[in-house]
Amino acid sequence: MEKQATREDLIAALTEDLTPVERVRPAQGAWLIAFATLVAGVVCIAIFEFWFGMLTGEASAFYWITNGLLLLLGAASTSGLVAGALPRVGVRGNAPYWSAAMLGVVPLVAIITVVSLEANHDHASGALSVLDDPLTWYWECGAYGTMAGFVIALAAVLFLRRGAPVALERAGWLTGLAAGSLGALAYNITCPLDTVAHVGIWHTVPVLVWAVIGRLAVPPLIRW
Amino acid sequence: MVADEPTFARLMGSAQTGDKAACNVLLSEVGVWLERYFRRRVPPHQIDDLVQEVLIAFYTKRGTWDPSRPFLPWLAAIARYRWIDHLRKVYKHDSKELMEDDAIEDSDEEVVMARVSLDRLFLKLPEKQATAIELVKIDGLSIREAAEKTGQSESLVKVNIHRGLKKLATLVEEVE
Repeated sequence: MEKQATREDLIAALTEDLTPVERVRPAQGAWLIAFATLVAGVVCIAIFEFWFGMLTGEASAFYWITNGLLLLLGAASTSGLVAGALPRVGVRGNAPYWSAAMLGVVPLVAIITVVSLEANHDHASGALSVLDDPLTWYWECGAYGTMAGFVIALAAVLFLRRGAPVALERAGWLTGLAAGSLGALAYNITCPLDTVAHVGIWHTVPVLVWAVIGRLAVPPLIRW
Repeated sequence: MVADEPTFARLMGSAQTGDKAACNVLLSEVGVWLERYFRRRVPPHQIDDLVQEVLIAFYTKRGTWDPSRPFLPWLAAIARYRWIDHLRKVYKHDSKELMEDDAIEDSDEEVVMARVSLDRLFLKLPEKQATAIELVKIDGLSIREAAEKTGQSESLVKVNIHRGLKKLATLVEEVE
């Protein structure tokens, strides 16, 4: 609908075209993102196979903690994202950012572990150092997790476009955090590599990548 | 007299179900509310244009109102969003029009009130950003004139306007 010569003309035209409207509900967005995560997980399992080792006690505690934090971040960012699809004023919760900060501890621990192990490694012993371990440099997991995040980002953008977000930058960040964390989670359940260095870096890097993509790419897509 | 919250909510609920009569009354009342809202935010000659813009956005996004939540904060959020968008558009595309802006000459009460409201927001901006916006967006100077007046480079004036408008957008997101 375009502007009219007078406000009265516009109101008459809008009234004339009126039809019942389906309400946009945040729960729909949450379900859509949950479904997208499921789709991403199924695709990852179809390609890489589910890692049953996590069910038979082979997975390290660090693996579980990382995936648990990714799930929490995904839930917090999804919750903030779908709530932000409806116009509202007032202070918005910052739980997603605290969740992201908590997840940030994971790569920090990985880096500290790598540095400290390397500093104390006896190279003369012939044992493999953490920097020589190919698992430490297996970056493909980060790439696969990032690719899986695309499905979640797509779902989030579609829902935001149905809604009317008034804080576009925040919606962009939250889309990135949700896509990165849930995409990484969808892939991680197929990955049997559970060392601190590998999990801490490559299983969490999709969050960082998607946060940047979300912030830069999403606002123009959801502007209304 | 502008409708109150319960009246707005009732009319909106009916409009969502396709009640044309309720929608007509609602749009008229929302128009009056928006006119008051923008009276302190934009020059008088831009109000009707902006009200029409928000009415279209309001109508298009009417499915995003949740009847379990208050109506007016929802409407205010849409109005603020469109207002900031309007400021951005003015900055990007209408600099010539702004330079010929006659709002300053119309020194009536509305203009004074608009200035009071803007001054309140400007207090929260860094001085250089507020000055750049004020000179170019309100006083109608060109970028070059503003640069000469402030001693800043033209690029810096542009950057200060850009950052200032961005900060303003953030400020109006917060509860006033």
